Amino acid sequence: MTVPTADTERRPFGDIALPYALVAPAVLVALAIAVIPLLYALWLSFQDWYLLRNPQPVWGGLVNFQALFADAALWRAFWRTWIWTIGTVAVEVALALPLALLLNRDTTIARMASALILLPWVMPFIVLGYGWRFLLDSEVGALHSVFQFFGLAGNSSILNDPNLALAIIIFISGWKGMPFMVLALLAALKSIPGELYEAAAIDGASPWQRFTTITLPAIQNTMLIIGLVLGILAFYSFDLPWIMTRGGPQDATTVLGISMYKAVFTDLRPAYAAAISVVMLAILAVASFLSLKLRRRQ
Amino acid sequence: MNEESRLRGIVLDVVTIAVLALVLLPIIWVFIASIRPDADIMTRSLIPARITFDHFANIFARADFLVALRNSLIVGAIVAICTVLIAIPAAYSLSRFTYLGRDFIGFLILATQMLPAVAVLVPIVVIIRSLGMANTLTALTFTHLALGLPIAVWMLKGYIDAVPRELEEASIIDGSSQIGAMFRITLPLIRPAVVAVGTFAFVLSWGEFILALALITSAEVKTLPLALQTLFDPYSFSWGVVMAGGVVIAAPTIVLFLLFRNQLVGGLTAGGIKG
Repeated sequence: MTVPTADTERRPFGDIALPYALVAPAVLVALAIAVIPLLYALWLSFQDWYLLRNPQPVWGGLVNFQALFADAALWRAFWRTWIWTIGTVAVEVALALPLALLLNRDTTIARMASALILLPWVMPFIVLGYGWRFLLDSEVGALHSVFQFFGLAGNSSILNDPNLALAIIIFISGWKGMPFMVLALLAALKSIPGELYEAAAIDGASPWQRFTTITLPAIQNTMLIIGLVLGILAFYSFDLPWIMTRGGPQDATTVLGISMYKAVFTDLRPAYAAAISVVMLAILAVASFLSLKLRRRQ
Repeated sequence: MNEESRLRGIVLDVVTIAVLALVLLPIIWVFIASIRPDADIMTRSLIPARITFDHFANIFARADFLVALRNSLIVGAIVAICTVLIAIPAAYSLSRFTYLGRDFIGFLILATQMLPAVAVLVPIVVIIRSLGMANTLTALTFTHLALGLPIAVWMLKGYIDAVPRELEEASIIDGSSQIGAMFRITLPLIRPAVVAVGTFAFVLSWGEFILALALITSAEVKTLPLALQTLFDPYSFSWGVVMAGGVVIAAPTIVLFLLFRNQLVGGLTAGGIKG
Protein backbone atom coordinates (compact mmCIF):
# COMPACT_ATOMS: atom_id res chain seq x y z
CA MET A 1 0.00 0.00 0.00
CA THR A 2 1.34 3.40 -0.87
CA VAL A 3 1.77 6.12 1.71
CA PRO A 4 0.76 9.64 0.75
CA THR A 5 3.76 11.92 0.60
CA ALA A 6 4.34 14.46 3.33
CA ASP A 7 3.38 17.42 1.22
CA THR A 8 -0.09 16.06 0.50
CA GLU A 9 -1.77 18.78 2.55
CA ARG A 10 -0.14 21.54 0.63
CA ARG A 11 -1.30 20.24 -2.76
CA PRO A 12 -4.54 21.70 -4.09
CA PHE A 13 -7.57 19.44 -3.94
CA GLY A 14 -7.62 19.13 -7.71
CA ASP A 15 -4.21 17.49 -7.72
CA ILE A 16 -5.22 14.94 -5.10
CA ALA A 17 -8.50 14.12 -6.82
CA LEU A 18 -7.04 13.86 -10.32
CA PRO A 19 -5.68 10.27 -10.18
CA TYR A 20 -8.91 9.07 -8.54
CA ALA A 21 -11.00 10.79 -11.19
CA LEU A 22 -8.94 9.17 -13.94
CA VAL A 23 -9.31 5.67 -12.55
CA ALA A 24 -12.94 6.08 -11.44
CA PRO A 25 -14.71 4.89 -14.62
CA ALA A 26 -12.70 1.65 -14.65
CA VAL A 27 -13.48 1.10 -10.97
CA LEU A 28 -17.17 1.75 -11.62
CA VAL A 29 -17.21 -0.90 -14.34
CA ALA A 30 -15.46 -3.37 -12.02
CA LEU A 31 -17.98 -2.61 -9.27
CA ALA A 32 -20.98 -2.88 -11.56
CA ILE A 33 -19.96 -6.06 -13.34
CA ALA A 34 -18.05 -7.96 -10.66
CA VAL A 35 -18.41 -6.72 -7.10
CA ILE A 36 -22.12 -5.83 -7.03
CA PRO A 37 -23.22 -9.00 -8.88
CA LEU A 38 -21.17 -11.13 -6.50
CA LEU A 39 -22.71 -9.49 -3.43
CA TYR A 40 -26.14 -9.73 -5.03
CA ALA A 41 -25.61 -13.43 -5.77
CA LEU A 42 -24.71 -13.98 -2.13
CA TRP A 43 -27.90 -12.22 -1.01
CA LEU A 44 -29.95 -14.05 -3.62
CA SER A 45 -28.64 -17.43 -2.51
CA PHE A 46 -30.41 -16.95 0.85
CA GLN A 47 -33.75 -16.14 -0.77
CA ASP A 48 -36.58 -18.50 -1.56
CA TRP A 49 -37.47 -17.71 -5.13
CA TYR A 50 -39.18 -20.16 -7.42
CA LEU A 51 -40.70 -18.15 -10.24
CA LEU A 52 -43.64 -20.49 -10.73
CA ARG A 53 -44.69 -20.12 -7.07
CA ASN A 54 -43.69 -16.65 -5.95
CA PRO A 55 -42.78 -13.86 -8.36
CA GLN A 56 -40.76 -11.98 -5.73
CA PRO A 57 -37.90 -13.38 -3.66
CA VAL A 58 -38.61 -13.95 0.05
CA TRP A 59 -36.06 -14.73 2.74
CA GLY A 60 -35.44 -18.46 2.80
CA GLY A 61 -32.33 -18.81 4.91
CA LEU A 62 -30.41 -21.91 3.98
CA VAL A 63 -33.24 -23.45 1.97
CA ASN A 64 -31.26 -23.35 -1.30
CA PHE A 65 -28.16 -24.85 0.24
CA GLN A 66 -30.21 -27.63 1.80
CA ALA A 67 -31.81 -28.35 -1.57
CA LEU A 68 -28.40 -28.21 -3.20
CA PHE A 69 -26.90 -30.86 -0.96
CA ALA A 70 -29.91 -33.12 -1.51
CA ASP A 71 -29.84 -32.72 -5.29
CA ALA A 72 -28.49 -36.00 -6.66
CA ALA A 73 -28.27 -34.72 -10.24
CA LEU A 74 -26.27 -31.73 -9.04
CA TRP A 75 -23.85 -33.99 -7.17
CA ARG A 76 -23.34 -35.99 -10.36
CA ALA A 77 -22.68 -32.73 -12.22
CA PHE A 78 -20.26 -31.74 -9.47
CA TRP A 79 -18.14 -34.88 -9.81
CA ARG A 80 -18.44 -34.72 -13.57
CA THR A 81 -17.07 -31.16 -13.44
CA TRP A 82 -13.98 -32.45 -11.64
CA ILE A 83 -13.48 -35.15 -14.28
CA TRP A 84 -14.00 -32.45 -16.89
CA THR A 85 -11.55 -30.03 -15.25
CA ILE A 86 -8.77 -32.53 -14.58
CA GLY A 87 -9.30 -34.16 -17.98
CA THR A 88 -9.14 -30.82 -19.77
CA VAL A 89 -5.90 -29.82 -18.04
CA ALA A 90 -4.40 -33.28 -18.66
CA VAL A 91 -5.19 -33.00 -22.38
CA GLU A 92 -3.77 -29.48 -22.43
CA VAL A 93 -0.48 -30.60 -20.90
CA ALA A 94 -0.28 -33.76 -23.02
CA LEU A 95 -0.76 -31.77 -26.23
CA ALA A 96 1.19 -28.68 -25.25
CA LEU A 97 4.41 -30.23 -23.92
CA PRO A 98 5.48 -32.02 -27.13
CA LEU A 99 4.31 -29.05 -29.20
CA ALA A 100 6.31 -26.60 -27.12
CA LEU A 101 9.44 -28.77 -27.37
CA LEU A 102 8.97 -28.98 -31.12
CA LEU A 103 8.39 -25.24 -31.53
CA ASN A 104 11.28 -24.20 -29.29
CA ARG A 105 13.65 -23.65 -32.21
CA ASP A 106 14.75 -20.48 -33.90
CA THR A 107 13.66 -21.12 -37.47
CA THR A 108 11.16 -19.19 -39.58
CA ILE A 109 8.83 -22.19 -39.71
CA ALA A 110 8.92 -22.64 -35.94
CA ARG A 111 8.21 -18.95 -35.35
CA MET A 112 5.28 -18.95 -37.77
CA ALA A 113 3.94 -22.15 -36.26
CA SER A 114 4.19 -20.68 -32.74
CA ALA A 115 1.88 -17.90 -33.90
CA LEU A 116 -0.61 -20.05 -35.81
CA ILE A 117 -0.86 -22.59 -33.00
CA LEU A 118 -2.73 -19.91 -31.03
CA LEU A 119 -5.72 -20.03 -33.38
CA PRO A 120 -7.80 -22.52 -31.37
CA TRP A 121 -7.38 -20.26 -28.33
CA VAL A 122 -8.42 -17.03 -30.05
CA MET A 123 -11.29 -18.40 -32.13
CA PRO A 124 -14.78 -18.13 -30.62
CA PHE A 125 -16.28 -21.22 -29.00
CA ILE A 126 -19.33 -21.01 -31.21
CA VAL A 127 -17.28 -21.49 -34.40
CA LEU A 128 -15.12 -24.30 -33.01
CA GLY A 129 -18.11 -26.00 -31.40
CA TYR A 130 -20.03 -26.15 -34.65
CA GLY A 131 -16.86 -27.10 -36.53
CA TRP A 132 -16.39 -30.12 -34.27
CA ARG A 133 -20.07 -31.01 -34.47
CA PHE A 134 -19.65 -31.02 -38.22
CA LEU A 135 -16.60 -33.30 -38.01
CA LEU A 136 -18.43 -35.69 -35.69
CA ASP A 137 -21.75 -35.66 -37.55
CA SER A 138 -22.94 -39.13 -38.52
CA GLU A 139 -23.92 -38.11 -42.04
CA VAL A 140 -21.18 -35.75 -43.17
CA GLY A 141 -18.46 -35.93 -40.49
CA ALA A 142 -14.99 -36.95 -41.59
CA LEU A 143 -13.94 -37.78 -38.05
CA HIS A 144 -17.09 -39.84 -37.61
CA SER A 145 -16.05 -42.14 -40.43
CA VAL A 146 -12.61 -42.51 -38.82
CA PHE A 147 -14.24 -43.50 -35.52
CA GLN A 148 -16.56 -45.83 -37.41
CA PHE A 149 -13.56 -47.46 -39.07
CA PHE A 150 -11.99 -48.16 -35.68
CA GLY A 151 -15.28 -49.45 -34.31
CA LEU A 152 -15.63 -46.60 -31.78
CA ALA A 153 -18.77 -45.22 -33.34
CA GLY A 154 -21.75 -47.05 -34.77
CA ASN A 155 -24.22 -45.48 -37.13
CA SER A 156 -24.93 -42.54 -34.87
CA SER A 157 -22.45 -39.87 -33.86
CA ILE A 158 -20.37 -40.48 -30.75
CA LEU A 159 -21.94 -37.29 -29.41
CA ASN A 160 -25.02 -39.44 -28.82
CA ASP A 161 -23.10 -41.91 -26.67
CA PRO A 162 -23.00 -40.71 -23.02
CA ASN A 163 -19.46 -41.88 -22.19
CA LEU A 164 -17.82 -41.09 -25.49
CA ALA A 165 -19.53 -37.70 -25.73
CA LEU A 166 -17.99 -36.60 -22.43
CA ALA A 167 -14.58 -37.95 -23.46
CA ILE A 168 -14.52 -36.26 -26.86
CA ILE A 169 -15.78 -32.92 -25.52
CA ILE A 170 -13.12 -33.02 -22.80
CA PHE A 171 -10.57 -33.57 -25.54
CA ILE A 172 -11.95 -30.65 -27.56
CA SER A 173 -11.90 -28.48 -24.44
CA GLY A 174 -8.24 -29.38 -23.92
CA TRP A 175 -7.45 -28.76 -27.58
CA LYS A 176 -9.01 -25.29 -27.34
CA GLY A 177 -7.03 -24.39 -24.21
CA MET A 178 -3.75 -26.02 -25.26
CA PRO A 179 -2.27 -22.97 -27.09
CA PHE A 180 -2.16 -20.98 -23.88
CA MET A 181 -0.08 -23.70 -22.27
CA VAL A 182 2.18 -23.86 -25.36
CA LEU A 183 2.72 -20.11 -25.13
CA ALA A 184 3.70 -20.29 -21.47
CA LEU A 185 5.90 -23.37 -21.88
CA LEU A 186 7.71 -21.79 -24.84
CA ALA A 187 8.53 -18.76 -22.70
CA ALA A 188 9.81 -21.05 -19.95
CA LEU A 189 11.85 -23.17 -22.38
CA LYS A 190 13.48 -20.10 -23.91
CA SER A 191 14.71 -19.00 -20.50
CA ILE A 192 16.77 -22.18 -20.00
CA PRO A 193 20.43 -21.34 -20.70
CA GLY A 194 21.85 -23.38 -23.59
CA GLU A 195 25.09 -23.98 -21.67
CA LEU A 196 23.25 -26.39 -19.39
CA TYR A 197 22.50 -28.67 -22.32
CA GLU A 198 26.03 -28.37 -23.70
CA ALA A 199 27.50 -29.30 -20.32
CA ALA A 200 25.14 -32.25 -20.02
CA ALA A 201 25.99 -33.40 -23.54
CA ILE A 202 29.71 -33.30 -22.65
CA ASP A 203 28.97 -35.37 -19.56
CA GLY A 204 27.37 -37.92 -21.86
CA ALA A 205 23.75 -37.47 -20.77
CA SER A 206 21.19 -39.02 -23.10
CA PRO A 207 18.43 -36.82 -24.58
CA TRP A 208 15.93 -38.36 -22.15
CA GLN A 209 18.23 -37.66 -19.19
CA ARG A 210 18.66 -34.09 -20.37
CA PHE A 211 14.87 -33.74 -20.59
CA THR A 212 14.21 -35.11 -17.11
CA THR A 213 17.10 -33.39 -15.33
CA ILE A 214 17.22 -29.98 -17.07
CA THR A 215 14.06 -29.27 -19.06
CA LEU A 216 11.38 -30.67 -16.79
CA PRO A 217 12.57 -29.03 -13.54
CA ALA A 218 12.85 -25.70 -15.38
CA ILE A 219 9.29 -25.71 -16.71
CA GLN A 220 7.34 -27.56 -14.03
CA ASN A 221 6.42 -24.43 -12.09
CA THR A 222 5.05 -22.78 -15.22
CA MET A 223 3.16 -25.96 -16.03
CA LEU A 224 1.65 -26.02 -12.54
CA ILE A 225 0.60 -22.37 -12.45
CA ILE A 226 -0.81 -22.27 -15.97
CA GLY A 227 -2.46 -25.61 -15.30
CA LEU A 228 -4.24 -24.04 -12.32
CA VAL A 229 -5.32 -21.01 -14.36
CA LEU A 230 -6.64 -23.25 -17.13
CA GLY A 231 -8.20 -25.54 -14.54
CA ILE A 232 -10.18 -22.63 -13.09
CA LEU A 233 -11.36 -21.71 -16.58
CA ALA A 234 -12.34 -25.33 -17.28
CA PHE A 235 -14.21 -25.53 -13.97
CA TYR A 236 -16.39 -22.67 -15.21
CA SER A 237 -17.01 -24.17 -18.64
CA PHE A 238 -20.35 -23.60 -20.25
CA ASP A 239 -19.99 -22.62 -23.90
CA LEU A 240 -18.43 -25.75 -25.33
CA PRO A 241 -20.61 -28.47 -23.73
CA TRP A 242 -23.68 -26.32 -24.32
CA ILE A 243 -22.93 -25.75 -27.99
CA MET A 244 -21.91 -29.36 -28.60
CA THR A 245 -24.63 -31.29 -26.75
CA ARG A 246 -26.68 -28.94 -24.50
CA GLY A 247 -25.39 -31.01 -21.58
CA GLY A 248 -26.75 -34.27 -23.03
CA PRO A 249 -27.08 -37.08 -23.90
CA GLN A 250 -28.82 -37.97 -20.60
CA ASP A 251 -26.93 -35.24 -18.72
CA ALA A 252 -23.65 -36.93 -19.66
CA THR A 253 -21.94 -33.60 -20.40
CA THR A 254 -23.81 -31.47 -17.85
CA VAL A 255 -21.09 -29.66 -15.94
CA LEU A 256 -21.91 -27.22 -13.12
CA GLY A 257 -22.06 -24.24 -15.47
CA ILE A 258 -24.83 -25.95 -17.40
CA SER A 259 -26.66 -27.05 -14.20
CA MET A 260 -26.62 -23.43 -13.10
CA TYR A 261 -27.85 -22.13 -16.44
CA LYS A 262 -30.67 -24.67 -16.52
CA ALA A 263 -31.63 -23.81 -12.94
CA VAL A 264 -32.35 -20.23 -14.07
CA PHE A 265 -33.71 -20.68 -17.55
CA THR A 266 -35.37 -24.11 -17.52
CA ASP A 267 -36.38 -24.61 -13.90
CA LEU A 268 -36.94 -20.87 -13.22
CA ARG A 269 -35.17 -21.02 -9.84
CA PRO A 270 -32.77 -18.04 -9.90
CA ALA A 271 -32.10 -18.16 -6.16
CA TYR A 272 -31.11 -21.82 -6.39
CA ALA A 273 -28.83 -20.98 -9.33
CA ALA A 274 -27.30 -18.20 -7.27
CA ALA A 275 -26.58 -20.70 -4.51
CA ILE A 276 -24.81 -22.94 -7.04
CA SER A 277 -22.69 -20.02 -8.21
CA VAL A 278 -21.83 -19.09 -4.61
CA VAL A 279 -20.63 -22.63 -3.94
CA MET A 280 -18.64 -22.59 -7.18
CA LEU A 281 -17.07 -19.30 -6.14
CA ALA A 282 -16.10 -20.74 -2.77
CA ILE A 283 -14.36 -23.60 -4.56
CA LEU A 284 -12.67 -21.12 -6.90
CA ALA A 285 -11.51 -19.04 -3.94
CA VAL A 286 -9.92 -22.09 -2.30
CA ALA A 287 -8.27 -23.08 -5.58
CA SER A 288 -6.93 -19.55 -6.15
CA PHE A 289 -5.65 -19.41 -2.59
CA LEU A 290 -3.79 -22.68 -3.09
CA SER A 291 -2.39 -21.47 -6.42
CA LEU A 292 -1.15 -18.24 -4.80
CA LYS A 293 0.49 -20.22 -2.03
CA LEU A 294 2.19 -22.49 -4.55
CA ARG A 295 3.41 -19.49 -6.49
CA ARG A 296 4.89 -17.85 -3.40
CA ARG A 297 6.81 -20.99 -2.62
CA GLN A 298 8.54 -21.16 -5.98
CA MET B 1 28.33 -32.27 -37.84
CA ASN B 2 27.10 -28.99 -39.30
CA GLU B 3 25.53 -30.76 -42.28
CA GLU B 4 23.88 -33.17 -39.88
CA SER B 5 22.36 -30.45 -37.70
CA ARG B 6 21.05 -28.64 -40.78
CA LEU B 7 19.38 -31.82 -41.96
CA ARG B 8 17.94 -32.27 -38.50
CA GLY B 9 16.57 -28.73 -38.64
CA ILE B 10 14.87 -29.38 -41.97
CA VAL B 11 13.35 -32.63 -40.74
CA LEU B 12 12.03 -30.89 -37.62
CA ASP B 13 10.58 -28.09 -39.77
CA VAL B 14 8.73 -30.63 -41.87
CA VAL B 15 7.47 -32.37 -38.74
CA THR B 16 6.38 -28.97 -37.38
CA ILE B 17 4.33 -28.21 -40.48
CA ALA B 18 2.71 -31.65 -40.42
CA VAL B 19 1.85 -31.44 -36.72
CA LEU B 20 0.54 -27.89 -37.07
CA ALA B 21 -1.70 -28.94 -39.96
CA LEU B 22 -3.03 -31.81 -37.86
CA VAL B 23 -3.72 -29.59 -34.84
CA LEU B 24 -5.46 -26.95 -36.96
CA LEU B 25 -7.31 -29.48 -39.11
CA PRO B 26 -10.71 -28.87 -37.46
CA ILE B 27 -10.36 -25.16 -38.26
CA ILE B 28 -9.14 -25.80 -41.79
CA TRP B 29 -12.12 -28.10 -42.27
CA VAL B 30 -14.57 -25.35 -41.36
CA PHE B 31 -13.06 -23.07 -43.98
CA ILE B 32 -13.07 -25.75 -46.67
CA ALA B 33 -16.67 -26.77 -45.98
CA SER B 34 -17.79 -23.18 -46.31
CA ILE B 35 -16.72 -23.01 -49.95
CA ARG B 36 -17.80 -26.38 -51.30
CA PRO B 37 -21.22 -27.51 -52.52
CA ASP B 38 -23.31 -29.49 -50.03
CA ALA B 39 -23.18 -32.53 -52.30
CA ASP B 40 -19.38 -32.52 -52.05
CA ILE B 41 -19.44 -32.07 -48.27
CA MET B 42 -21.13 -35.48 -48.10
CA THR B 43 -18.02 -37.09 -49.63
CA ARG B 44 -15.98 -36.26 -46.49
CA SER B 45 -12.77 -35.78 -48.46
CA LEU B 46 -10.39 -32.99 -47.51
CA ILE B 47 -9.52 -31.69 -50.97
CA PRO B 48 -12.34 -29.60 -52.44
CA ALA B 49 -13.15 -30.70 -55.98
CA ARG B 50 -15.46 -27.79 -56.72
CA ILE B 51 -15.54 -24.36 -55.16
CA THR B 52 -18.69 -22.35 -54.57
CA PHE B 53 -19.53 -19.13 -52.78
CA ASP B 54 -23.23 -19.98 -52.67
CA HIS B 55 -23.17 -20.50 -48.91
CA PHE B 56 -21.87 -16.99 -48.33
CA ALA B 57 -24.37 -15.57 -50.82
CA ASN B 58 -27.04 -17.53 -48.97
CA ILE B 59 -26.28 -16.18 -45.49
CA PHE B 60 -25.75 -12.62 -46.67
CA ALA B 61 -29.19 -12.79 -48.27
CA ARG B 62 -30.80 -13.69 -44.94
CA ALA B 63 -32.31 -10.72 -43.14
CA ASP B 64 -31.81 -12.24 -39.66
CA PHE B 65 -28.12 -12.82 -40.29
CA LEU B 66 -27.60 -9.27 -41.55
CA VAL B 67 -29.37 -7.86 -38.51
CA ALA B 68 -27.12 -9.94 -36.28
CA LEU B 69 -24.05 -8.79 -38.21
CA ARG B 70 -25.08 -5.18 -37.69
CA ASN B 71 -25.76 -5.75 -33.99
CA SER B 72 -22.40 -7.45 -33.48
CA LEU B 73 -20.61 -4.62 -35.27
CA ILE B 74 -22.40 -1.98 -33.18
CA VAL B 75 -21.80 -3.73 -29.86
CA GLY B 76 -18.18 -4.59 -30.74
CA ALA B 77 -17.37 -1.06 -31.90
CA ILE B 78 -18.91 0.62 -28.86
CA VAL B 79 -17.20 -1.86 -26.53
CA ALA B 80 -13.84 -1.21 -28.23
CA ILE B 81 -14.21 2.59 -28.04
CA CYS B 82 -15.44 2.60 -24.44
CA THR B 83 -12.75 0.14 -23.36
CA VAL B 84 -10.06 2.42 -24.77
CA LEU B 85 -11.64 5.60 -23.36
CA ILE B 86 -11.91 4.08 -19.89
CA ALA B 87 -8.64 2.15 -19.91
CA ILE B 88 -6.28 4.96 -20.98
CA PRO B 89 -6.97 7.32 -18.04
CA ALA B 90 -7.12 4.39 -15.62
CA ALA B 91 -3.79 3.02 -16.82
CA TYR B 92 -2.28 6.50 -16.72
CA SER B 93 -3.49 7.01 -13.18
CA LEU B 94 -2.11 3.65 -12.00
CA SER B 95 1.19 4.22 -13.77
CA ARG B 96 2.01 7.88 -13.08
CA PHE B 97 0.58 8.70 -9.67
CA THR B 98 1.14 7.36 -6.19
CA TYR B 99 -1.90 7.63 -4.00
CA LEU B 100 -3.73 5.93 -1.19
CA GLY B 101 -5.53 2.81 -2.41
CA ARG B 102 -3.77 2.61 -5.76
CA ASP B 103 -2.55 -0.94 -5.32
CA PHE B 104 -5.96 -2.07 -4.15
CA ILE B 105 -7.65 -0.44 -7.14
CA GLY B 106 -5.17 -2.09 -9.48
CA PHE B 107 -5.85 -5.43 -7.84
CA LEU B 108 -9.62 -4.93 -8.03
CA ILE B 109 -9.49 -4.24 -11.76
CA LEU B 110 -7.26 -7.23 -12.41
CA ALA B 111 -9.39 -9.51 -10.24
CA THR B 112 -12.38 -8.88 -12.50
CA GLN B 113 -10.33 -10.39 -15.30
CA MET B 114 -9.89 -13.61 -13.36
CA LEU B 115 -13.61 -13.85 -12.78
CA PRO B 116 -15.26 -16.09 -15.41
CA ALA B 117 -18.51 -14.82 -16.95
CA VAL B 118 -20.33 -17.93 -15.70
CA ALA B 119 -19.55 -16.91 -12.11
CA VAL B 120 -21.55 -13.68 -12.34
CA LEU B 121 -24.08 -14.79 -14.92
CA VAL B 122 -27.03 -15.39 -12.58
CA PRO B 123 -26.89 -12.09 -10.66
CA ILE B 124 -26.21 -10.11 -13.83
CA VAL B 125 -29.19 -11.66 -15.60
CA VAL B 126 -31.48 -11.05 -12.61
CA ILE B 127 -30.29 -7.46 -12.19
CA ILE B 128 -30.62 -6.64 -15.87
CA ARG B 129 -34.08 -8.18 -16.06
CA SER B 130 -35.29 -6.30 -13.02
CA LEU B 131 -34.01 -3.09 -14.59
CA GLY B 132 -36.14 -4.00 -17.60
CA MET B 133 -33.07 -4.08 -19.83
CA ALA B 134 -33.16 -7.67 -21.03
CA ASN B 135 -33.15 -7.85 -24.81
CA THR B 136 -31.34 -4.56 -25.20
CA LEU B 137 -28.00 -4.02 -26.87
CA THR B 138 -27.22 -1.43 -24.19
CA ALA B 139 -27.16 -4.06 -21.46
CA LEU B 140 -25.17 -6.48 -23.59
CA THR B 141 -22.65 -3.76 -24.47
CA PHE B 142 -22.21 -2.86 -20.83
CA THR B 143 -21.54 -6.45 -19.74
CA HIS B 144 -19.13 -6.91 -22.65
CA LEU B 145 -17.05 -4.03 -21.27
CA ALA B 146 -15.89 -6.37 -18.52
CA LEU B 147 -14.39 -8.78 -21.05
CA GLY B 148 -11.45 -6.71 -22.22
CA LEU B 149 -11.22 -3.77 -19.85
CA PRO B 150 -9.00 -5.27 -17.11
CA ILE B 151 -6.44 -6.62 -19.59
CA ALA B 152 -6.58 -3.29 -21.42
CA VAL B 153 -5.80 -1.35 -18.25
CA TRP B 154 -2.90 -3.59 -17.33
CA MET B 155 -1.45 -3.76 -20.83
CA LEU B 156 -1.58 0.01 -21.25
CA LYS B 157 -0.13 0.51 -17.78
CA GLY B 158 2.86 -1.56 -18.87
CA TYR B 159 3.32 0.56 -21.97
CA ILE B 160 2.94 3.85 -20.08
CA ASP B 161 5.45 2.60 -17.47
CA ALA B 162 7.92 2.22 -20.33
CA VAL B 163 7.54 5.85 -21.47
CA PRO B 164 10.13 7.94 -19.58
CA ARG B 165 8.58 10.50 -17.21
CA GLU B 166 11.22 13.01 -18.29
CA LEU B 167 9.46 13.42 -21.63
CA GLU B 168 6.27 14.54 -19.88
CA GLU B 169 8.17 16.68 -17.39
CA ALA B 170 9.84 18.55 -20.22
CA SER B 171 6.44 19.25 -21.69
CA ILE B 172 5.08 20.39 -18.31
CA ILE B 173 8.00 22.81 -17.91
CA ASP B 174 7.05 24.18 -21.31
CA GLY B 175 3.71 25.10 -19.81
CA SER B 176 1.29 22.25 -20.42
CA SER B 177 -0.71 20.55 -17.67
CA GLN B 178 -0.15 16.95 -16.68
CA ILE B 179 -3.22 15.88 -18.66
CA GLY B 180 -2.02 17.92 -21.60
CA ALA B 181 1.32 16.14 -21.41
CA MET B 182 -0.45 12.80 -21.37
CA PHE B 183 -2.36 13.67 -24.52
CA ARG B 184 0.51 15.26 -26.40
CA ILE B 185 3.48 13.15 -25.34
CA THR B 186 2.49 9.77 -23.93
CA LEU B 187 -0.60 8.95 -25.94
CA PRO B 188 1.05 9.19 -29.37
CA LEU B 189 3.88 6.96 -28.11
CA ILE B 190 1.57 4.20 -26.95
CA ARG B 191 -0.81 4.46 -29.91
CA PRO B 192 -0.02 0.95 -31.26
CA ALA B 193 -0.90 -0.53 -27.89
CA VAL B 194 -4.11 1.49 -27.76
CA VAL B 195 -5.15 0.14 -31.16
CA ALA B 196 -4.28 -3.41 -30.07
CA VAL B 197 -6.29 -3.08 -26.87
CA GLY B 198 -9.32 -1.75 -28.73
CA THR B 199 -9.04 -4.59 -31.23
CA PHE B 200 -8.80 -7.08 -28.43
CA ALA B 201 -11.97 -5.74 -26.82
CA PHE B 202 -13.78 -5.86 -30.15
CA VAL B 203 -12.78 -9.46 -30.81
CA LEU B 204 -13.80 -10.61 -27.33
CA SER B 205 -17.21 -8.99 -27.70
CA TRP B 206 -17.64 -10.27 -31.27
CA GLY B 207 -17.35 -13.94 -30.29
CA GLU B 208 -18.94 -13.75 -26.84
CA PHE B 209 -21.66 -16.35 -26.38
CA ILE B 210 -22.98 -16.98 -22.88
CA LEU B 211 -23.93 -13.42 -21.89
CA ALA B 212 -25.63 -12.92 -25.25
CA LEU B 213 -27.44 -16.24 -24.86
CA ALA B 214 -28.63 -15.34 -21.38
CA LEU B 215 -29.64 -11.74 -22.08
CA ILE B 216 -30.98 -11.81 -25.63
CA THR B 217 -33.98 -13.71 -26.93
CA SER B 218 -35.64 -11.51 -29.53
CA ALA B 219 -34.41 -11.75 -33.10
CA GLU B 220 -33.85 -8.05 -33.72
CA VAL B 221 -31.15 -7.74 -31.03
CA LYS B 222 -29.38 -11.07 -31.57
CA THR B 223 -25.64 -11.03 -32.14
CA LEU B 224 -23.75 -13.24 -34.58
CA PRO B 225 -23.00 -16.20 -32.28
CA LEU B 226 -26.73 -16.46 -31.55
CA ALA B 227 -27.60 -16.07 -35.22
CA LEU B 228 -25.31 -18.97 -36.04
CA GLN B 229 -27.46 -21.14 -33.81
CA THR B 230 -30.58 -20.16 -35.71
CA LEU B 231 -28.92 -21.20 -38.97
CA PHE B 232 -29.32 -24.69 -37.52
CA ASP B 233 -32.87 -25.03 -38.78
CA PRO B 234 -33.71 -28.60 -37.79
CA TYR B 235 -35.80 -29.21 -40.91
CA SER B 236 -33.64 -27.83 -43.63
CA PHE B 237 -30.15 -26.76 -42.83
CA SER B 238 -27.00 -27.01 -44.83
CA TRP B 239 -23.64 -27.64 -43.17
CA GLY B 240 -22.10 -25.44 -45.81
CA VAL B 241 -24.22 -22.48 -44.72
CA VAL B 242 -23.49 -23.06 -41.03
CA MET B 243 -19.76 -23.30 -41.75
CA ALA B 244 -19.91 -20.14 -43.87
CA GLY B 245 -21.55 -18.40 -40.91
CA GLY B 246 -18.73 -19.72 -38.74
CA VAL B 247 -16.16 -18.30 -41.15
CA VAL B 248 -17.86 -14.89 -41.04
CA ILE B 249 -17.55 -14.94 -37.24
CA ALA B 250 -14.01 -16.32 -37.22
CA ALA B 251 -12.55 -14.18 -40.02
CA PRO B 252 -12.22 -10.83 -38.22
CA THR B 253 -10.85 -12.62 -35.18
CA ILE B 254 -8.16 -14.31 -37.23
CA VAL B 255 -7.25 -11.25 -39.30
CA LEU B 256 -7.01 -8.95 -36.30
CA PHE B 257 -5.11 -11.59 -34.37
CA LEU B 258 -2.52 -11.92 -37.11
CA LEU B 259 -2.20 -8.12 -37.35
CA PHE B 260 -1.73 -7.57 -33.62
CA ARG B 261 -0.12 -10.87 -32.73
CA ASN B 262 2.70 -9.53 -30.61
CA GLN B 263 0.60 -7.21 -28.47
CA LEU B 264 -2.08 -9.84 -28.03
CA VAL B 265 0.40 -12.49 -26.95
CA GLY B 266 1.65 -9.99 -24.38
CA GLY B 267 -1.93 -9.38 -23.28
CA LEU B 268 -2.75 -13.06 -23.03
CA THR B 269 0.22 -13.76 -20.82
CA ALA B 270 -0.39 -10.65 -18.72
CA GLY B 271 -4.05 -11.49 -18.23
CA GLY B 272 -3.46 -15.11 -17.50
CA ILE B 273 -0.36 -15.11 -15.37
CA LYS B 274 -0.44 -11.89 -13.40
CA GLY B 275 -2.65 -11.61 -10.37
